[in-house]
Amino acid sequence: MEGPLKELTKLEKLTFGTTSTKGKSPSIDQSLDALLDSLRNAKERFQAGMGSQGILESLAKTVEEKKKEVDDRQKEVYNALAKFGKALDKKFANSLPSYDPLFASPEAKGALERTIAVHFLRTGQFDTAQTFISESDIDVDPEMRAQFMTLHRIMLSLRNGNVIPALQWAHYNDDFLEDRPSSLKFHLHRFEYLRQLLSPHADIAAAINYARTNFPDFYPHHGAEIGRLMNCVTYLPLSRFMKSPYADLANPSIHSELERMFATEYCASLGMSRQAPLRVISDIGGGGALARIEKGRKVMRERKSEWSQANELPIEIPLPQENRYHSVFACPVSKEQSTEANPPMMMTCGHVITKESLQKLSKPGGRVKCPYCPMESNIQTALRVYF
Amino acid sequence: MSQDRLNVDGIMLFEQPFARVPYENYRKVFRSSQKNIEKELGAVQNAAKDLANKERPEDDVEATAKALDGMIARVEGLKRKLSDMQESAGKPTLDVMRERLQHLGAIEILESPNVPEFTRWADVRLDRWLVDWSLRNGKEKTARMIAAEKGIEVRSHHACVHCMASRPLARDIIKKIVDIDLFSDIRRIEDALNRKSCTEALAWCSENKAALRKLKNTLEFDLRLQEYIELARAGKTVEAMAYSKKHLLPWQETHFYQIVQAAALLCYRPSTSCGPYKRLYDPSRWTMLIQSFRLAIYHLSTLPTEPLLHLAMYAGLASLKLPACYNHETRNVDCPVCNSDLGVLAKEVPFSHHVNSTIVCRSTGKIMDADNMPMAMPNGQVYSKEVFDHMAAKNGGWVFDPRNPADRCRYTELRKVFIS
Ligand SMILES: [Zn+2]
Ligand SMILES: [Zn+2]
Repeated sequence: MEGPLKELTKLEKLTFGTTSTKGKSPSIDQSLDALLDSLRNAKERFQAGMGSQGILESLAKTVEEKKKEVDDRQKEVYNALAKFGKALDKKFANSLPSYDPLFASPEAKGALERTIAVHFLRTGQFDTAQTFISESDIDVDPEMRAQFMTLHRIMLSLRNGNVIPALQWAHYNDDFLEDRPSSLKFHLHRFEYLRQLLSPHADIAAAINYARTNFPDFYPHHGAEIGRLMNCVTYLPLSRFMKSPYADLANPSIHSELERMFATEYCASLGMSRQAPLRVISDIGGGGALARIEKGRKVMRERKSEWSQANELPIEIPLPQENRYHSVFACPVSKEQSTEANPPMMMTCGHVITKESLQKLSKPGGRVKCPYCPMESNIQTALRVYF
Repeated sequence: MSQDRLNVDGIMLFEQPFARVPYENYRKVFRSSQKNIEKELGAVQNAAKDLANKERPEDDVEATAKALDGMIARVEGLKRKLSDMQESAGKPTLDVMRERLQHLGAIEILESPNVPEFTRWADVRLDRWLVDWSLRNGKEKTARMIAAEKGIEVRSHHACVHCMASRPLARDIIKKIVDIDLFSDIRRIEDALNRKSCTEALAWCSENKAALRKLKNTLEFDLRLQEYIELARAGKTVEAMAYSKKHLLPWQETHFYQIVQAAALLCYRPSTSCGPYKRLYDPSRWTMLIQSFRLAIYHLSTLPTEPLLHLAMYAGLASLKLPACYNHETRNVDCPVCNSDLGVLAKEVPFSHHVNSTIVCRSTGKIMDADNMPMAMPNGQVYSKEVFDHMAAKNGGWVFDPRNPADRCRYTELRKVFIS
């Protein structure tokens, strides 16, 4: 943004303040003041009986001069404005594509309004959600609202360092967490232990007592980490601790990770997505996907090759791993994506290709030589796999 | 493929209007200052010339002093006007401009989208899009609430804890993040059109005459035609004819046919079933006028015709959409497109395109690779090794299909799956 900001500064200097002398020509205020002086001066002269045509002739000349000064100054501002506009053009070289109206059907409108209402609830903006719902034609399940309010109440406690409501919730949902499997409970206890241990006037004995009471259940899965947690005590006080190999245990990110972990488990227990869905898609769309899609379409247009599948994007949009939600199987032989009609098949060796490729590779008698390893198998033994 | 660098160009694609609108606003302020200067100083120049041509002006001191007073008043008035304009419109617009450019510039130095600074920036961005969307959809209270609850964060980079007391009013914040004045204008004019009044929209047209002509926009004619139709509907034939002469005829070069048709309209009653005239009397013309007005004002203000939220959602949904999203067997609760409401919206966008395989465990949601291999049950169901390891440890070597627990097998019956 340096370019536009530099030009903006120049423009501000030309237009701010009444006595600014940054321009080549005097400021408009200065020119107008000078003009007023001349006018008042002429008037005084006439009233003092010293008036003459010469005074008025020279006054007319002054008016012309001052008008020119003002014009020059305006021209400077105009040029600065134009330069600023050019800097903006350069920085924002691509304009947004224009699409036919999106999400305009009554069905889509309702879906979008519900999405937005749930987004406000999910992000803890309960008052905004209420206002939004009253300005829209939608209803939101009151139970969902209550669930999100509980989530935010517990999150608020967590943020303030109080793990008790979260632990209560975890205790209540023990079976669910056990099946996931989730280590939320361990992390809550770990957080509480560290909070006690690293607080300004720590009661170390109490912290260790807390560990003795709560950690044993977690030895089977977190033995090594519990070892670390107990050992780190030897590096206290905090100033020494921060320079020890255990400094990571005092990192504030432990706090934010715990909040995220809690929200994930809480939402999963209610069959809700890990992240706020509206946020996920707007981040992907606004993080470069639209630019890539437009570029891909432009290339297609330039090559004059009508993209054969109008129903599919012409290019692949790179996605962060956490946003890969479904398996995609592209056959290594044909490069085609698998479908219901052409599903992925696993040969005896474990390699997977699509059904059509498998059929093409098979020899009389149904023998297939795997293209990726020396093993040969029979087409009959290939297993349809589901990802 | 992962995305570990921030795609600044891709992000900035959305920000052109954000940066551009205050610039256009400042140009308007400049043009109006220029107009005032021309008008007032032009008059002073003429007065000065007249005075200079007067012979023996000292003979009538009173007249000369009066003329000079008139000139002084004009220059003083101009000075006041310019300074008012600068204070109330010029400087605030440049301040908004600076604030916005700094806000956009803040992400140019970030390395990755995975830093907290970017997360906070993207929070504000989604709020801006939601405010823009709400304003475009007539939900002003929502827009103001988002701004009041969240707007402070735009400024937080130079607000210190002690200044929190002087928390700016919601309106100030909202102005910096969304062009609310523009939207209030749109709302006011649209409300008038909804009340079947063209007056406000016509006033807007005359304020923006030059720009509309440049775009070859004919909204003004459409509005004039509507006023004419309403006169015809009310049976005011004489007034209608006078109106046509005054307001429609000037358009005859481009709209000759429509003017002729309008003249013929006077022979038909509003209840006519004759096609073209029935269409002219059709009240749905008002809805069409609102649409045309909206497009015109968005165009002139360099705002996109679609809400930014829609464009971002279009691209985001298309990046994720897969046939698997619409198959009950492969639904994933974490996937936005699998969400029932967003799934409805995703019907309007194309599917994503993929060249390489990515196998995602349907139980853990994690991508499977050499460290956490895909394993197939005898029935062909594939999950990641860690899922089966956990089950086998708990159930004495037995594993089951997490989606259909009745399907069981021994851990030893699982087969490793190789994806090339
Ligand atoms: Zn093989
Ligand atoms: Zn999906």
